[in-house]
Amino acid sequence: MFKAIITVIQRDLLIAVRRRAELMNPILFYVIVVTLFPLGVSPDKNFLSQLAPGVVWVVALLAALISMESIFRQDFDDGSVEQLFLSQHPPTILILGKVIAHWLVTGLPMLIIVPIMASLLYIPSQAMPTLFITLLLGTPILSLIGAIGVALTAGLRGGGILLGLLVLPLYIPVLIFATSAVGAAINGLAYSGQVAILGAGLILALMLAPLAISASLKVSMS
Amino acid sequence: MRTQEVSVLQAHNLACVRGRTELFTDINFSVRSGEALVVEGSNGSGKTSLLRILCGFNLPSEGMITWCDTPIDEHESYQQQISFIGHQSGVKLDLTVLENLIFAQRMVGSNHSVSDIKEIIRRVGLSKQKNVLTRKLSAGQKRRVALARLQLESRQIWVLDEPLTALDKQFVIEFQEVLKDHLDQNGMLLLTTHRDLTIPSHEAIQLNLS
Repeated sequence: MFKAIITVIQRDLLIAVRRRAELMNPILFYVIVVTLFPLGVSPDKNFLSQLAPGVVWVVALLAALISMESIFRQDFDDGSVEQLFLSQHPPTILILGKVIAHWLVTGLPMLIIVPIMASLLYIPSQAMPTLFITLLLGTPILSLIGAIGVALTAGLRGGGILLGLLVLPLYIPVLIFATSAVGAAINGLAYSGQVAILGAGLILALMLAPLAISASLKVSMS
Repeated sequence: MRTQEVSVLQAHNLACVRGRTELFTDINFSVRSGEALVVEGSNGSGKTSLLRILCGFNLPSEGMITWCDTPIDEHESYQQQISFIGHQSGVKLDLTVLENLIFAQRMVGSNHSVSDIKEIIRRVGLSKQKNVLTRKLSAGQKRRVALARLQLESRQIWVLDEPLTALDKQFVIEFQEVLKDHLDQNGMLLLTTHRDLTIPSHEAIQLNLS
């Protein structure tokens, strides 16, 4: 079963590397918005550091959303979604592999560049580990929840708009707890509660989202 | 996956309604291992829908399908005995021919080596293209990659929706031999086609949906 997850991850990463333009889209969006934000609002250090947690997280959330469609769209177009259900491995396992691969090409690069982005927004150094942890726990939740929406809308024309409507309300708790944790860290307050909730959310999403994605794909296939 | 026991796939009073359109009603048939079912019918008569229902991807509006006397939705491993090729071939365009088949082999867990896979690629006439991205192949060559996957998966039930689309005459003749070998090995074949297809030494059950 572990081999099956690794196989799916390897395959999807290889495909992602060969579709570099799509691979770069979310991370470019992330860099451009965070870079332009101080120019458009105010370069004032105190002002930016107050807004920074919200900006970093809202942009991360939107970057995740714009990259979500790629997770199953190609599988529907090339007919390989059916093969997921004919595999000898449970579809939920293969789906989990696909979501992990998606996170590796969209969420992980955001984590890698977050120190640079945070310094552009004057996030104090004591809040950096918290920002990193919230992104580490929160972005996989975004991928898992987003994949449910994509699986539901993949068979529809104009599914992208519907995807936003379906998924954004479910992203809001992640946004609230993550920005609250980073805000608390900036102000020197305790943030372990918010981080614990994000951790619990990730475990819950890892357990339940593959089942929901599998059921949604079946609905879309029929 | 293959078994030497006789397995039977039966459709009982199948009906399929899409929106307000009744595609077919009261479809009954029984296919045993070693037999082929060829579904015929005009465009839009429900051939693809029937095959998808037989795979368990779609539910029939009425009726039931059984595999070895058990309804397919209650059968634990029914779908794991199916190799399916639909209108889209299920081939990843950003992988090479060889990569496509290696990943497909890992997904089904068959024990073919890379040299076995290369031999199957040779048999479908794509040796020169084995390291070419599938995106760069012609429609017929993509179809051959999908048909190579069938031989790799070694499953009992082959469900093929217009498998001969875009294939040249010579390859169709060779593919008929592959189908014959599959049936000789106790396999089962469910397919739709608009082209003449003869499976040597086997008489197919014809089902006309028109």
